[in-house]
Amino acid sequence: MPFDSHRIHDVPDDLLAAIDYCYEQGWTDGLPVIPPVLDRVHATLAYEGRPPEAVIATHPATGLQLTLHAAAVNAVMAGCLPEYFPVLVAAFEAMDKPGFNFHGSTASTGGSAPLLIVSGPYADAIGMNADVNLFGPGNRANATIGRATRLILRNVFQMIPGISDKSTQGNPGKYSFCIAERARGNPWPLLCQQQDYPDGVSSVTVFAGGGFCNIENHGGNTPEQILGSVADAMANYGCITLGQSVVVLAPEHMRIVAVAGWTRQDSQQFLFSSAKRSVEGMQAVGKYRDVEYDKQHGAEAHALAEAGYVHRGLTPDDILITMGGGDAGGHSCFIPSWSRGRGSIMQHKPIGVCIDCA
Amino acid sequence: MQLYDPTSSGPERSLARAAALASPDGKTIGILENGKLNAPEMLQELADLFVSRNGCIIRAVYSKSNASAPAPAETLAKAAQEVDFLITGLGD
Repeated sequence: MPFDSHRIHDVPDDLLAAIDYCYEQGWTDGLPVIPPVLDRVHATLAYEGRPPEAVIATHPATGLQLTLHAAAVNAVMAGCLPEYFPVLVAAFEAMDKPGFNFHGSTASTGGSAPLLIVSGPYADAIGMNADVNLFGPGNRANATIGRATRLILRNVFQMIPGISDKSTQGNPGKYSFCIAERARGNPWPLLCQQQDYPDGVSSVTVFAGGGFCNIENHGGNTPEQILGSVADAMANYGCITLGQSVVVLAPEHMRIVAVAGWTRQDSQQFLFSSAKRSVEGMQAVGKYRDVEYDKQHGAEAHALAEAGYVHRGLTPDDILITMGGGDAGGHSCFIPSWSRGRGSIMQHKPIGVCIDCA
Repeated sequence: MQLYDPTSSGPERSLARAAALASPDGKTIGILENGKLNAPEMLQELADLFVSRNGCIIRAVYSKSNASAPAPAETLAKAAQEVDFLITGLGD
């Protein structure tokens, strides 16, 4: 079968009819899409230096491939502006790393959705939101980059709800789950700096997120109180596994933590130490497994792993902490990993540049 | 108006199922266990039924380190050499 990146559908010259045509083809997430007309796709591809046929991700089970061309078509359908395209490309290059396991995390009953965290100056350059109403709604870049991710999983990789996406209850993040890291007032190194990218290079981190847990604390005034609330959410019986975590601290909460001199590493260690359940407690709810306990407490156990307890994650580094949201409000959030463990490990990639290219 | 197709535009792969066994009688069985809770017990029970009803022989148990990822190619290649058919399933 010859390679064909230019399959074209002729439809009536009527925008609403074209939107209906996209529905009829099964190309949508349930919401109307922008019909992928040729010139918009070409404008999107202009933001990528490689040929349209270049493959950026491959489904490990079916072999279905994501080309830049197909990515651009879906970006247009999601409502992306052309300048958003490098973020989407980097996200799929990160999701294509075997450790992310995008097939499993999408197909699973667990119902995770790829959370994209954009860090660095490119987020501002394309007008992403890292501030009030962080997780939406209201910002075109956040909303449509996240939506394009879902449309690609659906249209290119054929991860169809009910057929190859067997999520028991779904997840609102499966429509869109994309944020920017807040740089303004952030006392810690940005994620892109933490990830050792060169100055000025932005990154996108992808995480198979199981949902969204709000952490309200308007009374705490110490890092222990604020992060203690976070740790409690991380260790709730419905969420606790050996999996990774994402914690987005609200600016109010971050200020309390940072003014006390706590670094990201201090906070990760506190959360790892505190987010735990006793073996007896895990047994009482039927979630205890010897093999998991042994993995956490075996020869390579982290020094903070306490005997007799199951912690969330394997090490403090399994907890990504960043800042986001509006200035007002003691509302942070915790996002657990997909399902029961470590089937997907978060990944990151630089945006718009190739660090390792000759 | 002309629209680009948003589905996969890469080269198609040729995928085909292996021919079905004419009969399981006397065949060798492999168990592909995926690590999920109860999977080994459930798969062993099923394999035991083939042993008692069809005279099959359980020759090998293979394990996946990640239940949700495809089995490694080398695992499948090894199984293809060692057994006539594989039993797998989720278990929970």
